[in-house]
Amino acid sequence: MSKSNSRITRRRFVAGAGAIGLGAAAGVIGAPRILSAAGKITVLNWQGYGTDEAWAVEAFKKATGVEVVHDYFNSEPEMITKLRTNPGAYDVVLTNSAWNGIASGEGLIQAVDTAQISHFDDLNPSLRDSALLSKDGKVYGVSWVWGMTAIAYNTEKVKPAPESVEVLWDPKFAKRVSVRDDAIEAVSYGAIATGQDMNHPKDLDKVKAKLLGLKPQIATLWSSEDEWNKLFQSGTFDVSVYWSGSAARSKTNFKLPVGYMVPKEGGIGWFDGLAVAANAPNIEGAHKFINYMVDPTFYVEWATTVGAPASANTKANEQLPADDVGRQIHSDQAAIKRLQFMAPLSDDERQTYSDLWTEVKTEFAK
Amino acid sequence: MAVADQRNRGTILALTGPAYLWLTVTIFLPLSAMLYCSFLDKSPLVPQPASLTLKHYAAFIERPVYQQLMLWSLELGAVVTICCLIIGYPAALALAKVIKGRWREAMFLMVVLPFWSNALVRTFSWTMVLRPGGLADQAIHVVAPDAPALNLLYSYPAVVVGLVHSYLPYMILTCYISLQAIDDSVIEAARSLGARSGALFRRVVFPMSLPGVLAGSALIFVPAVGSFMEPRILGGAKGATLGMAVEEQFTVTANWPFGAALSFLMLGAVLLICLALYPAARKRMEGL
Amino acid sequence: MKLGSTLLTAHLWLVLAFLYVPIVVMAVLGFNASPLYALPFEFDPVWYRALTSNTKLIDAGIHSVGIAIVNTIIATTLGTMAALAFARYSFRGKTIMQLLLFPPIAIPWLVIGTAMLVFFFWIDIKRGLFAILLGHVALSLPYVIVVVGARLATFPHAVEEAAATLGATPWQTFRRVTAPLLAPGVIGGGLFAFAVSFDQFVISYFLAPAGVTTLPVEIYGAIRKGFTPEINAISTIIIVVSMGVLLLTARFYRFGGER
Repeated sequence: MSKSNSRITRRRFVAGAGAIGLGAAAGVIGAPRILSAAGKITVLNWQGYGTDEAWAVEAFKKATGVEVVHDYFNSEPEMITKLRTNPGAYDVVLTNSAWNGIASGEGLIQAVDTAQISHFDDLNPSLRDSALLSKDGKVYGVSWVWGMTAIAYNTEKVKPAPESVEVLWDPKFAKRVSVRDDAIEAVSYGAIATGQDMNHPKDLDKVKAKLLGLKPQIATLWSSEDEWNKLFQSGTFDVSVYWSGSAARSKTNFKLPVGYMVPKEGGIGWFDGLAVAANAPNIEGAHKFINYMVDPTFYVEWATTVGAPASANTKANEQLPADDVGRQIHSDQAAIKRLQFMAPLSDDERQTYSDLWTEVKTEFAK
Repeated sequence: MAVADQRNRGTILALTGPAYLWLTVTIFLPLSAMLYCSFLDKSPLVPQPASLTLKHYAAFIERPVYQQLMLWSLELGAVVTICCLIIGYPAALALAKVIKGRWREAMFLMVVLPFWSNALVRTFSWTMVLRPGGLADQAIHVVAPDAPALNLLYSYPAVVVGLVHSYLPYMILTCYISLQAIDDSVIEAARSLGARSGALFRRVVFPMSLPGVLAGSALIFVPAVGSFMEPRILGGAKGATLGMAVEEQFTVTANWPFGAALSFLMLGAVLLICLALYPAARKRMEGL
Repeated sequence: MKLGSTLLTAHLWLVLAFLYVPIVVMAVLGFNASPLYALPFEFDPVWYRALTSNTKLIDAGIHSVGIAIVNTIIATTLGTMAALAFARYSFRGKTIMQLLLFPPIAIPWLVIGTAMLVFFFWIDIKRGLFAILLGHVALSLPYVIVVVGARLATFPHAVEEAAATLGATPWQTFRRVTAPLLAPGVIGGGLFAFAVSFDQFVISYFLAPAGVTTLPVEIYGAIRKGFTPEINAISTIIIVVSMGVLLLTARFYRFGGER
């Protein structure tokens, strides 16, 4: 290989690479511009949480002509940060019962015009009219779905079916238990197991002592539904705190032997509302989209093909097939009565719970 | 060679200016803002006015758990760096001084390529290898069918394996680059003067490659101390680091000032350690 | 020395084997039928078929590669210049400048990303390609400067001086003498810059406009819903293509330098 030859090749390579790079780069700039041409809304949500299902986005566009673009968050504080730093960028944003008030209090979301939500009257009144989704008598979040955070277990290994939260501390399942690496969820369960108010436990030392008792039990901590499924499938644990909609999915989609129960001592309930961002560029489109999201047609398809939490729309839940796993889990009235719903926490409370959980985890790691 | 001269000022400015201007706008100014934020009692962007406080730094002192996590993180960083050095240096030596010709370039690229993949995907692949009934377990049972079940996942060693894997190419790369710059004639000369292999390595090769060793160690130790993804996925309940606690302040408590304070304390500790070790290393380089 | 050489070579092969364990696992599982990565292995190219119609993932891959290439060119150029200044001259503030390379590496990316997001919001830099590149290049620069610096620290400066004494202009000296000697360091720095950008999640995640994603963003986002072996498939394709391109480049251009 001669020297001059090698130099040409090198130069060509660099030029070629640069051209590819700039081309792709232009694609990055170009993409949003094309989208903004027609009617468009931007939705801020967790990834893979209903609103971004490809078929739903397509059906919505067909019906209304409005294109749906997504942006995602990985934690609620991040959702707030994205709203704060991108004013006017979002139309619809998902806020749960504990965060809607924080967002509305800061003026990050605007009141919903419920007259534009034709399904509004069909929504479960206890969720629809909850103080957690409204401010000054106005609705700031249209209740969309609700679910539970309770206990999932392997029906082949855990017999008889457990009824108490104490199953997590049962020496029979030493090294066979998993909980989510989440400070607030952990403290909530510590409070439930010690008979305290889940949101604002008075005796945190008791909660901490109870959680420390999990040390011999824990196989690992999980942090995402995907991880949970893979760990469960590979037999890493038998009992775990888990979300109801996800449990239904694990059972329906992956045929995993999952049993689900709300402990007799109580369980965590939560509900999510769809809100319209302050300064939303397309308020009309946002309302249309929210209405489509609480429409039974969308919900039934989502729940049966993908798996979903329970809809806030009572009519939507009734349209599910009777043998639907999610429907069975979410229609146990006795279990629902045992739920305590997640309430907003003050910054200090969140910090205290986080410190406590960090201390517990550090003990686990020793 | 190193010239301190007024005339060079323009050249120095032209050479360093673009990089440092870039860094200033995108890193130094935002991080300075974060540093300032660590002395505030509220996160920036919160509507309420904030006031100055030292409480986040005090919290680190008052809560032993964060000191414990800091120690663990530093220890983890040190273990990973040392493992990378022990494994990586001989590999770089082989690459630079034993392998010749086209093979060398090919193998050099082969070393770097694995980290052109996503860290999360790689880490996840490790869980498939290390978990009970995973590939390592199955491989061992092919050789020794009676061996007890092997479960390496969710342990400290698993975290170290994952991190060493992620950072090993850094060490090989930097060591190779400086080893490769050592002229073979220098080695030949030393040998012809009667130096034996051991002495040759100790007195000539290693000191001359020290810049690479130092650069590699810094590039590994510094980020490994702040790691949180590998400890979480591979360590499970056994992996706890300060990096995780920092992450928590941004994703759970929305307490940026405390998260920032923890990060800057970590940065301070890392810098102190590097500065403390630097004079010793410099002495070795100069005593060449 | 003979035995030593053999041992060293054997060690290098072992290290390579270790480095490729997860890569091979990743590639193999891309062909495994189970969406939950269940074993035993069952061959099925279903994920590659699924990938062909997953335009979102493919677009994300293209964005990532494009950004990484532009990032590599910029960061390597600027970083090499700075490293040259550090190696050549001693000047006031040099130590401080070198120490300042630590924070971008030491501070967790999430903190840097958040700081950048807020700061860009304040000075009104809009989310988009420009903002992403700003961030990626900044995070790659310290790596390039350190790697190129490691090469320069063992640099035979006498050769440069000899060239200058023989009447070469500074530019000639640079082109004919400095550049070829510098090449391994620069290429090493470039490989680093590419890797840093290609794996960078937080910056792209915070600064990409809505609806535009990169591969790491897709991968991290997929954790929530569940990431399927499609991710393995696209990662494998990228690794194989990079390997091809790099080995081809290596064939035409010996950057290792025979000296």
